[in-house]
Amino acid sequence: MTRWYTPWLFLLPGLAVVVTFSLVPFVNMIVLAFTDATALGGGHFTGLANFQRMLDDPKFWVALRNSTLYLVGVVPPLVVLPLLIALLVRKKLPGITFFRTAFFTPVIASAVVVGLIWTWLLDSQGLVNNVLRALGWVSRPVPFLTDEWLLLVSAMLVTIWKGLGYYMIIYLAALGNVPADLHEAAQVDGAGPVRRFFAVTVPALRPTMVLVAALSAVNGFRVFSEIYLLSGGSGGPGGADTSLVMLIQQTGTGLTGNVGYASALSMVLFVVTLGLLLVTLRLNRREEAL
Amino acid sequence: MRTTRRVFLIGLAAATLAGCGLSGTNEQGGAVAGEVKGEITFQTWALKPKYTQYVEGVIASFQQEHPGTTVKWIDQPADGYLTKVLADASAGSLPDVINVPPDLSFPLAKAGQLVNLDEAAADAKKDYLDNAWAAYAIPGKAGTYGFPWYLNTGPVFYNKALFQQAGLNPDSPPTTFAELETAALTMAQKTDRKVAMLGQTPAIADFGLYGVEMMNADGTKFTFNSAKGVELVEMYKRMYDAGGLVAEALTQNYTGSGAKFMAQQTALTPGSAYDLGKFKTDAPSLYANIGITKPITNTGKANMFVHGVSVPTSSKNKPTALAFGRFVTNAANQLAFSKVATIFPSSRDGMKDPYFTTEDGSDEARVRVAAAKQLGDSVNYTPVQFSQQMQDSLRQNLADAMLGKKSAKQALDDAVAECDRLLG
Repeated sequence: MTRWYTPWLFLLPGLAVVVTFSLVPFVNMIVLAFTDATALGGGHFTGLANFQRMLDDPKFWVALRNSTLYLVGVVPPLVVLPLLIALLVRKKLPGITFFRTAFFTPVIASAVVVGLIWTWLLDSQGLVNNVLRALGWVSRPVPFLTDEWLLLVSAMLVTIWKGLGYYMIIYLAALGNVPADLHEAAQVDGAGPVRRFFAVTVPALRPTMVLVAALSAVNGFRVFSEIYLLSGGSGGPGGADTSLVMLIQQTGTGLTGNVGYASALSMVLFVVTLGLLLVTLRLNRREEAL
Repeated sequence: MRTTRRVFLIGLAAATLAGCGLSGTNEQGGAVAGEVKGEITFQTWALKPKYTQYVEGVIASFQQEHPGTTVKWIDQPADGYLTKVLADASAGSLPDVINVPPDLSFPLAKAGQLVNLDEAAADAKKDYLDNAWAAYAIPGKAGTYGFPWYLNTGPVFYNKALFQQAGLNPDSPPTTFAELETAALTMAQKTDRKVAMLGQTPAIADFGLYGVEMMNADGTKFTFNSAKGVELVEMYKRMYDAGGLVAEALTQNYTGSGAKFMAQQTALTPGSAYDLGKFKTDAPSLYANIGITKPITNTGKANMFVHGVSVPTSSKNKPTALAFGRFVTNAANQLAFSKVATIFPSSRDGMKDPYFTTEDGSDEARVRVAAAKQLGDSVNYTPVQFSQQMQDSLRQNLADAMLGKKSAKQALDDAVAECDRLLG
């Protein structure tokens, strides 16, 4: 006879890890969001004060705006470009492995290294500006890293560049599952490559595209390292490029960190991320129903 | 069966919740008495492997002087030091003797986590330089919370080649803030903004050097938004508009600014005696053109950095911890340390050593002797209460002022308001 707790015993090791490193911190975050706790402990229950403060905090609105803009800026290119690259590199051409590897290299490079390389490239005296100046295209350096909007766009470009290879692999796997006979049938019916792409490939890949959109949206909304590194940890001039995760880091860390407020901000981040995933789930369900 | 399962799940949930929430703060320390023996742990900030031999030597002589004691040395890398201290402090398990600079000691002392040395080691004060001992005092709270260990200060470094390129006399660097502004404007104009004088907007210590009062007498409010503070920011704004500051000055801190100077993209930077060695090895072409001059200050007193060791109230062996803290920072040990590292002793007798008073003709000795002389009346201008969040706020508001989004006065008012709020 199987005892009722036998399944729990099997679950125990995995459950212990999840409870210790995910569930406890998560519940802790919810508790702390309603307190004025500091990094060194202490703190009292303050009700909704942290959320009220958030509404009046211009930094929060700037961070929310930036994270949202980031999501809007990186998702469409990250859904479309890797698909096009996947279509190119799946062709059996001599030397194609080199290109596949080249596109994937940024994915395995450390975010810090990538950030530093791009900082050197885009600096006011960096390679890009020096080339532009040498060509006589600009007389003053382009403020890639010191203009509020250009910095955000530069960071988005780094995210897109770094993410291309990862999503390309997902698309490559999915492309392998598109039935070849559908393509052949379309070809027999006289469909050209463009027509076949929209009539066969895209419909077959739609669930994968939704998945890529979901993953890149969640990652885009939680952006930290790109902006942090390109702005030298400052969040841009006047902190105008701070993302929500950066704000949480700036608020909650250090010996004087305001853990209560940072937890409240984290709750907002969680709710938005969850919302994004629920939207994706719904889209996927609709796909299946169709 | 159903009830058992429910009890099990409720128990799990309760256990989860029990691990969450609010932890308390420690009790404040008082007078300490007891025998010096038993084991203690000593945590340092990134001293391995360069100074392993020195630290192990100090530990060995302490153990020899106090038989029955064992000092366990833990060295933490600089990266993540704060996180480690924070985690230990939250858990109430800080090592018995811990290396913390004054700005880290402040939140710990405020939370009652550090032993008050004025009570626990009342006779120690006389062994240290007054300004170094004062660095571990907490404004608005009685007591001193760290034995000063080592000090650093330094000259201003400038790039003679870039001065020459801009038509400035490389043998006559700016010595006042007014001269700095004139030189920066000339340099930007003559080089068509290709070379900037400075790499960052003023840090809080620069306000001190300019003669701005940082805080009120009881340390409860910041006051750097005074007319003098506004004057300094307006001066930087003029330099920024003319191209006297690199564009990245709006976003980068001291480290970024130092890198720009090393890359010969800026012409002048404040530094420490340690930096000279770094230039020699990492930027030899800069080193060949390096100019060394006195710090630019309106107060006549240079800026000083302090490191010290504190004893947490959570220590189970305070008598030994206090004895070791004093031992590590005594005159002889500090002097020996200064000779292997580019630092300066905070003990009264240490500074009298010929090592700090006589030159041998080398650049290193020249910087060392000049820095040692200037340390006697240097000031740690950065208030101990000035946290990372406050630094961020100041930097962000200054960037807004440089960009013209806010007036200098408004930017400083906003920074002060935010810092006061963070001070609580």
